[in-house]
Formats: sequence, C-alpha cells, structure tokens
Amino acid sequence: MFYTLMVYIALSVFTIGLTYRLSSWFRFNVGINTGGVTPWTRIRAACKGVAGLFNKEKLTLLGIVFLQDILLQKHIQKQDRLRWIMHFLIFSAFMFLLIFHALDQIIVTPIFDRFYLTMNPWLIIAGIILLVGLSIALYRRYVLKVPRLKTSAMDLYTIIILLLITLSGLFMEMTKLTSYDYYQKIWWVHILACLFGLAFLPFSKMFHMFTTPLSLLANAVMDENSDPANIATRQVMELDACTRCNTCSRHCSVAVACDHLGNDTILPAERMHFLKEYIANKNISSKKLAAIQQGIYLCTNCDRCTVVCPAGINLRELWFSAREELLRDKPPVDLMMTPFSFFRGLKQPQIDQEQYDSPLENVKSMLTAGGDFSAEMDAAPIVIGQGSNELHEVLGLSERMESFSYCFSCENCSTVCPVVAHYTDSQQSLDLLPHQIIRSVALGLKEMATGSRMLWNCLSCYQCQEHCPQGVKVTDIFNTLKTVSIEDHK
Amino acid sequence: MMKYTLFVGCNIPARVQQYELAARSVAVKLGIELVENQEFKCCGYPMQNSDNKPFLLMAARNLALAEKDGLDMMVLCKCCFGSLKKAAHQIQQDPGLQKEVNTFLAKEDLRYSGKSTIKHFLSILFHDVGLTAIKKKVSTPFTDLSVATHYGCHALRPSDVTRFDDPVRPSLFDDLVKVTGAKSIEWPLQLECCGAPLMGINDTLSMDLAERKLADCNRAGADYVCVGCPYCQMQFDRVQHMMLSERKLRHEIPGIVYPQLLGLAMGLSEESLGLKMNIYTISKLESYRQMETEN
Repeated sequence: MFYTLMVYIALSVFTIGLTYRLSSWFRFNVGINTGGVTPWTRIRAACKGVAGLFNKEKLTLLGIVFLQDILLQKHIQKQDRLRWIMHFLIFSAFMFLLIFHALDQIIVTPIFDRFYLTMNPWLIIAGIILLVGLSIALYRRYVLKVPRLKTSAMDLYTIIILLLITLSGLFMEMTKLTSYDYYQKIWWVHILACLFGLAFLPFSKMFHMFTTPLSLLANAVMDENSDPANIATRQVMELDACTRCNTCSRHCSVAVACDHLGNDTILPAERMHFLKEYIANKNISSKKLAAIQQGIYLCTNCDRCTVVCPAGINLRELWFSAREELLRDKPPVDLMMTPFSFFRGLKQPQIDQEQYDSPLENVKSMLTAGGDFSAEMDAAPIVIGQGSNELHEVLGLSERMESFSYCFSCENCSTVCPVVAHYTDSQQSLDLLPHQIIRSVALGLKEMATGSRMLWNCLSCYQCQEHCPQGVKVTDIFNTLKTVSIEDHK
Repeated sequence: MMKYTLFVGCNIPARVQQYELAARSVAVKLGIELVENQEFKCCGYPMQNSDNKPFLLMAARNLALAEKDGLDMMVLCKCCFGSLKKAAHQIQQDPGLQKEVNTFLAKEDLRYSGKSTIKHFLSILFHDVGLTAIKKKVSTPFTDLSVATHYGCHALRPSDVTRFDDPVRPSLFDDLVKVTGAKSIEWPLQLECCGAPLMGINDTLSMDLAERKLADCNRAGADYVCVGCPYCQMQFDRVQHMMLSERKLRHEIPGIVYPQLLGLAMGLSEESLGLKMNIYTISKLESYRQMETEN
C-alpha cells in the first residue's frame, strides 16, 4: 500500500515536472529569435517539423546520429578517452538496468514471456559496471581535477543519487539469499532512492538523458534556414541539454580573459547556466547585467564551443540571439568599440537596422565627449599646466608611451592617416586630427585626448606611428587612450 | 626539415577555412612540417584597445605554449602575428611585466622567456623555404595574370616591432607572387588598411575604405587581390559581396589568399586549396595557368 502510494507520488511529480519542462520549450525564447510567436504556433511548427522527417534521407541521417553520437557517444570519445569510458559505462549499465530490471514488467515481459531475472549475475555485473563509471566520475572531479571542470551541487546530487541506487541495489542482490530481514530494509532504501531519482529527474541534470539526444538529433536535421519558430523552441531545449560538462569552456578561445577579469560569464558553460535562469526571469541586477554583457560580447566567435559540444548544441546561434537581446535598450557595452564587433558587422544583414545601430550609437555617445572641441580650441592660448598630469602618469608607465613629448606638430600623422584622408571635412567629422590628440596629451587635456571621434574611428593601421619623424608611438598611445577612457566609463 | 607549430587563431577555423586548408597543402608540398597544438587560443588582438593586461596574458600564454613545444610559430593571420609580436616586445622591454606574466602562466605550468620566434606564413615561405625552392615546385605557372598584393597593416607596421619587411617599400609579397608566374602590379593604395578593424564599429567607413582600395587595384589593372590575412580576405570577399547589395559597386575584384594562388601554380587540386569556399568564384584562375606540356 505504502509502496503503491510512493510510486504514484513519484510518477505524478515526474509527470508534472516533465510537462513543466516541455512547456517551457514553447513558452520561452532565448534572445531576439522569437517573432512574437505564441506557444501554440510553436507547437504546431514543431509537429510540422517532425512530420517532415519521415523521408529516407532524413531518417538515414537520424539513424547515423543515433548510432554514432547517442549510442556510441563519438563526440565524447573525441574529447577525452577516460571521460568517454566513464560516460559509456554509466550509460550502458544504466540503460541495461532500466530496461531489463526496473521496467522489466513493462518492456521485457510482454515481448519475451516467461522472462524473469532472479538472483542473476547480470544484475550484479551491471551494478559493478555502474559503480566503476561513478568512481571514475569522482576520480575526475576530485583526484584528477580536470581543468575547468566545476562541481556544482547538481553534479554532486547526480553522483550521490546514482551511487545510492547502485550500492543499495548491489547489497540487496547480495543479501537476497542470506538475510531476508536485512534484504527488506535495503529494498526500501533502493526503492525510495529510485523513486526520488525519478520524481526529481525533470529538474535535475539527469534530464539530459532525454534532452541531449534530442539536441543531437534536432541539430542534425536543422540549419539556420529552418522555421524560426522551431529554432526558438530548439534553443530553449538546448539550454536543458547542457549538463555544464565544461567541454566548451575548456576550449574557449578567450578563457584566459576570464581568468584575469574574474568574470565567469565569459566562459560558454557559465553563459548557458546564466541563460537558463534569465529566460524565465529577466529582472536581473544591473551588476549582473553588466557582467553578462561583457561575458557574451567578449567572444571571438571562433565556433570552437559549437564544434566540441558533446550535446551537439548550436552555441554559435544561441550567442548571436542572446547577445543581440542583451544589447537592446540596455546600458552601453564598451567592448563594442573593439574588433570583437567584426563578427556583428558581418551579421548585420540579419539584424534590424535600427536595432543594429542604436547600441553602437549609445556606446559612441558615451565615449565621445559630444564632439565639438572648437570652443576649447578657440579659447586659446591654452595655458601650459592647465591640464592634469593624470594622463602623463598613465602613459609614462612605459618608455614607448612617453614619446608623446617628442611631438613638434609637423602633422605628418594627420597627413598619412587614411581616416583623415577619407573625409573632406575631416576636422568637423572627426573633432580632432591625430596630431591634435597628441598635443592634447602633452597638455594634459584628458577630455580632449580621449573624447574625439578621431580616436574612436582609428583603424590602428599604424601609418601615423610608422611615419612620425620624431618616433612618437602615435597608435600605441591611441590604444592606451582608449583603454583609459573605457576604464573611466566603467 | 622545417618544423613549426601552427597558429591559426579564431577567424580562420570559423570563417576562412580555405586559408588553413591551402596553407597546409602548400606546406606539405614544400616540405614544411606543421605541429598541432590544440591548446592555442585567441592571440589577444581584440583586447588591445580596451584592456592591455588580458591582451598581454592571452598572447603570452600562446607564446609560452610554443616555447614548451620547443618550436617556432607559424602564424597565418596578420593581426594575430602583429599582436603576438607586440606582446612579446612589450614583455621583453619590461622585466617586471615579464615576472607578472610568468606568475600568471605558472598556474598552467607555463613560462615565457622569449625562446621561440613568431613568424608569419609569408615570411617563412620567403626566408626559410626561399624563392628558388618554391620555384622548383611551380609546375603550372600563370601567364597574363595580374595580381595586386595587399600586405596587411599589422604585419608591416610598427616595423620596429614586427620586422616583416620594409614598411615603406616592401617587396617580399610581390616576389612571392612573381614566383607563380603572375605579374604583381603596382597600385597606389597597396599599403593602406583594408578597413576590417572598423567593421561592426563604423561600417560605412570600413566599407568605404575597402571599396576605395578595390577600386584602386581595379584601376591599376589587377585581376585578383591577393592577401595573407583572414581579416583582409573577409573584407575583400564576404564584405565586398555584402557591399554589392548595399551599394552599387562599379567593379568587383575577387580576393584570394596567397597559398591558394601558389597551390594552383604548383598544380594542387581545387579541393585541397578550398577554392569553392571563397564567396567570389576564383576557379576562373585556372584559365591563366600554363598547362604542363607533354614531351
């Protein structure tokens, strides 16, 4: 009676959890990819998408993915042999026990009548295999300390619940014939652990046993031209498919920046974790917002995360979609003024023109002082000593930077600058010319030195520096001025 | 046997795969051995005008990895090349900084002392392989083909740091093009920037600069514009293609990465050079090749 009650409770919690998780795939969206689509149209689109899979070509493709990536887990094997052994042992033993032991009455008996597993070696062997797999998992986390592998409470829960189920199961089998009393007690531990695991499954990392294969299959048959409604659904599902295994973070091109800046959301696995919470609740503190804006923009879009993801998640498109949303109607992101923006420039045709321009304009107006310095310049002569020494101190840190003081205003830098050459009214369009910026530095006029459109339209092509007869490191100074300004606006 | 550790950076594996593919094919043909290092990450280039410290650390980590392998680096991208060189220069000038960098690197058991040299792919071809050795492998040289060489800013300048070639009158790239049988034309804007650093920041200006360059080499009679950098290649290939729909281009001129040009002259297959990966069709180049005469 108590047993039946527990089974029903566990099953209902599982069903409610599953429904909640499934519905979230159609209710939420990651970033800009929505188009105001209602959940019902998303569900319809998904059904249509699935219906479209029933042809030879698509089914063959799905079959190959099922065999290679889901059953044999080639993606993991390519990354790390030990990890593959661990995962494969856990996966195969777990599936065996699930089908032939836990669900034997539902799955196996109807097919093979007279099927009955008594005290049999298979259960024990499978249990031991599972145990070996779990031991490797603990070894990797606590002894080997795999780089960038973080252990969260969820990871620990997953290992503990599986250990509890396996160990109690093994003891149960062993005590079956020796002590009935003991066996009964352990049976309860085993059953309760299994039922708890089942009830909690949709909310735990274990949910990836459904979502990861789904992500692998979906990404095999979908591309960027698929129905946007289905892409939006898939992207939310992909967040559930991520187990935070940190393969992406391990390979992330800019991981070093994270180590220095201490902003975890630079790492892809942490961004995924953030997005999981963010899609359901977009009210985040301004501090958190600033961190994720930096984290998601500080990305070279090298695609490595997408290439290595064992769950086949299309991280590339997730970043694009989420990044655009995190720029829209939000505080300016200084990193937009760096070459990190190159990729966004290439993607411009896919972004609404106004939405593309406005974050850029915001950051530009934050960093340029409003442009017009003519009043200051006309109010000449600027008295020497009127400016501050602050810039000199920053620039004077290295020998190269001190070179600004050698400038004798020959204007060679402004003459060779391709940006200056491009404008017929360069002074009006750029506020200051390169030689004027160098003069501002010499005079200690920080606002002028860091706030002109010239500075922020500098290509860093080094023509000015190369052609300076006095050896002023013009471009290097400009780069430093930009960093000073960005630091000031933080 | 020449042996290097290959640094491909971020853009090439994601958007300009043909460059790596062609460079590898050419390297095999010329007897250059390339060693993989999966640990290489971003060179730091995108960070250098926003925060100097992470820029230095990112670059230094790669340099330390090459040092650990005991090999010189072969860099394909000119912006990667420039920033690795700049970081090395900055660290070498400042012992305090070097110490700081090494404390950071020690966490990964790495150390930077400046032992391995950073070399750009084109420099390796010119200095280490040599024009004579390349010429020997050119089996189907081009005839009547005019190529505009685009040197790329971050390799040429600042010349006291990069030491790539003469910054005012460079000739290395032109000589490498001439070896394929093609004519390297003179064009006024040859040493100007392709505009890539402002893409995504000031697209109009970035495209204007690219368009101005393309018009200039077209006027000078070039059939192709040849580059040794993924950023420049994207400007002249993908961005030029984008410009077609956004502004009326009066002339189009396809961009090509140097190892594709050299590979064709060496008789390598279209697939091994990734010719189809360029947005602009460049297979027309084949028609300029002087086919091997059988006798």
